[in-house]
Amino acid sequence: MKNPDIIQLMKEKAEAVQAIVSHIKAIEDAFRYTVGITKEQGGRTVAATGLESNAQKRLKKECESAGLKLLEPPLRTYANEIHTALTPVDCGIAETGTLVLNSTSEDVRIATTLAETHIAILPVSKIKPDTAALENDLNAVLKTDAASYTSFITGASRTADIERVLAIGVHGPQELHILILEENKA
Amino acid sequence: MIKTAQNMKSYKKQIKEALADKFLRTAMGNFNTAYRENRIEVYKGIDFDDIRDQIAAGKDAALPRLMELFEEFKACAEAAGANVHVAKNAREANEIIAAVAKENNVKKIVKSKSMTAEETFLNDHLEKEGYIVTETDLGEWIIQLRKEGPSHMVMPAIHLSRYQVGDLFEKVTGRKLDSENIDKLVKVARQELRPTYFEADMGISGANFAIAESGALGLVTNEGNMRLVTTLPRIHVALVGFDKLIPDLKSMFQILKVLPRNATGQAITSYVTWIKGATECGSSPSNRKEMHIVFLDNGRLELARDPVFSEALRCIRCGACANVCPIYSKVGGHKYGHVYIGAIGLILTLFYHGKDNDRAIVQNCINCQACREVCPVDIDLPHLIKKTYRAVLDQEGKASVKNFLLSRVMKNRKLFHFILRKAYLAQKPFAKNRPLIRHLPHVLAKKHGYRSLPVITRTPLRDQWKRVRPQITHPKYNIAFFSGCAIDFIYPEQAKAMLDLFQKYDVQVEFPMAQTCCGLPLLMAAEEETAKELALQNIKAMQHVSCDYILTLCASCGSHLKHNYPKILKEAPERLENLKRFTDKIIDFSSFVKNVLNVSSEEFRTTRKKVAYHAPCHLCRGLRVIEEPRKLIETAGLKYVPSKDEDVCCGFGGSYSIDFPEISSEILKKKLDNVEDTQADLLVTDCPGCIMQLRGGMDKRGSKIQVKHIAEVIAEEKK
Repeated sequence: MKNPDIIQLMKEKAEAVQAIVSHIKAIEDAFRYTVGITKEQGGRTVAATGLESNAQKRLKKECESAGLKLLEPPLRTYANEIHTALTPVDCGIAETGTLVLNSTSEDVRIATTLAETHIAILPVSKIKPDTAALENDLNAVLKTDAASYTSFITGASRTADIERVLAIGVHGPQELHILILEENKA
Repeated sequence: MIKTAQNMKSYKKQIKEALADKFLRTAMGNFNTAYRENRIEVYKGIDFDDIRDQIAAGKDAALPRLMELFEEFKACAEAAGANVHVAKNAREANEIIAAVAKENNVKKIVKSKSMTAEETFLNDHLEKEGYIVTETDLGEWIIQLRKEGPSHMVMPAIHLSRYQVGDLFEKVTGRKLDSENIDKLVKVARQELRPTYFEADMGISGANFAIAESGALGLVTNEGNMRLVTTLPRIHVALVGFDKLIPDLKSMFQILKVLPRNATGQAITSYVTWIKGATECGSSPSNRKEMHIVFLDNGRLELARDPVFSEALRCIRCGACANVCPIYSKVGGHKYGHVYIGAIGLILTLFYHGKDNDRAIVQNCINCQACREVCPVDIDLPHLIKKTYRAVLDQEGKASVKNFLLSRVMKNRKLFHFILRKAYLAQKPFAKNRPLIRHLPHVLAKKHGYRSLPVITRTPLRDQWKRVRPQITHPKYNIAFFSGCAIDFIYPEQAKAMLDLFQKYDVQVEFPMAQTCCGLPLLMAAEEETAKELALQNIKAMQHVSCDYILTLCASCGSHLKHNYPKILKEAPERLENLKRFTDKIIDFSSFVKNVLNVSSEEFRTTRKKVAYHAPCHLCRGLRVIEEPRKLIETAGLKYVPSKDEDVCCGFGGSYSIDFPEISSEILKKKLDNVEDTQADLLVTDCPGCIMQLRGGMDKRGSKIQVKHIAEVIAEEKK
């Protein structure tokens, strides 16, 4: 499969499970997007994981100038007040519109399980066609003696437990946004 | 809590109550139809048969080496800081978990969904020990609040309406709620349960996979509560059945292709999670999670060694066997299982919860094969259900009088046929010289009066044979006809229609006189030994005729001869060659006429009469003949009009309709409603058993739609 086709498939499959997919050209776009969404939803806090310290500082500035609070790790302290979680992810699986996120760090888990809205940054080069293409990478994590927690995330949390009617946003995030980051600007 | 009937009498009472629950029946009925339609969509582009063969083979290879896989898992998981325990039975599992709680001074526990914890009644045990346990999966929370067991393995509260859930949530919150709005009800659960994760000292989960090569657990979920349960509290306990052990990640990916599709119609669930060892945890004094994995045996290791029942351990708990079951769709999960629900539940209950809980429910299978067709690990569920029933009877140490008589009579063909001939005389007062009995004697009328019953013919086909045997000088094909009891003794006219047609196509037909009942009714009654004897009698009877095909007009006989004979005779390898020659020749009427005779439309009149079709279970799923009868109807100049749920059972199931008339009649009603909606002139099918049921039902409701065997219709339309 050619690269544009994989990106298109990733987008289609993610949207089929109610994820909101956009394209961005630089990490700053993700910051602006995060701030915008948080304000729009009436949220006051942002938690970010996996950013380099410089990027984290720039995000903090962006948040503060919009009157939002960027929560600093360890996030457990603020576990009850996270509105938006912003996380780069390790890879995407086009076949199912899935995000793969190594969640061994507790901050990643706290952010992505408790936030109302999860915004994921997915670099184009990290989109794989299917699970088979990912087997070695995942095994490399699982087959060491280190403890680990790995997540496949596909759309927002959901249930059909009442009358089989689909409801989005149960115990996990109520919205999942995917920002596909164009390679050359990454 | 769970009140599974321990005997037939109380089971019948429960069934009656369930059938009176209108919401349940509508909801379950809609679910059955919607699930089957949606399933076709989600499997587009996927070779289901191929992938299920691979998974079944992988599971079968893993079962004999479960302990080996366990040791490998344990070493890897412990290296990453987990504590691995083995529990011989449910009590031990519960005690191990309670001991971990006690050692760590636990007060509150949150749980994510685990069928294995349902199996051990873990919550009851922990609550008795003084712990506060909260289920966090939406459906599980609902049934916990209602003090019920699950009614489905994937959707535990599927038996409840939004209004029932709304009323319950109003009681819990003390607020007035808008029950119409399911989204809002879901948010109530989100808000109410959120604090519990923070307050809990211990989180308990199940696991879908225990991966031996890495010591990681794999969990497949949707709501996000499992991620909270395994993240926030300082202790995580996972309760895992030994059957969840798989060798590697590749095997997990393979199963992941079918598990969500089969369970909920999703290509993948919202979350798939791998947890290995003791991860970082800020609420633990050591900053590491206290991680315990409890492997539950509870009979699994013995089951894994069982030559017949080990197949049941392939189960990945997708719940599809309930979703497609016509009986589940009428009575719901609380009346169709104990803890484990659906076809697999009827089997596993004996092994995990004992014969008392299985005694009644195990008899409630109509053998329609719907579950078998969708099972993603290829468990022959209907066959194993009958085997389980036999095992229950054996454990009880007494065969029922019915089974004793059945076995005695059926082993002796002449005695059996003598009784059938006597029955012709016995029915005379009720039949009043009509082909159907409309009014049964008063004692039987209440439950069995939903359909008229056919009468036993005065002269069975075998007694007419000398007279009706075709005389073809240069036959193109030679057929040995396997009539089955229904054609021989009730509907010889269906065979005669076939003979008329075949005469015109130069097909010579022989009727080997030593043939007897195919044996399926014996298998249904769990009398496998007698079924075996009949199989041998029939194979012998057919051996003496040289023929190109063994043709039957009865789908049930046909699929039993072809697929069950090798199964029940597999311990007799010296007969295998004969057996294969026999089974290779079995063919149904439609396949023979369409594919072998290759008839064309010019040979038929063109009346374009509207014809609805009922696909017999044992034709469309048993023999996997799907297109031929429908095409044949069109070739014969008739107009085939599709009806809803065409391939769903008619509710006959041989003795099933006598044992469970209240369910049989409900299944029949839906079938006839769907057919009447098409406004067809004629309903055609290719099994005399279905005809008995459908014609009886149509007659009783005074419908104008005639019911005929496809052989009769094709013969009539032939120019």
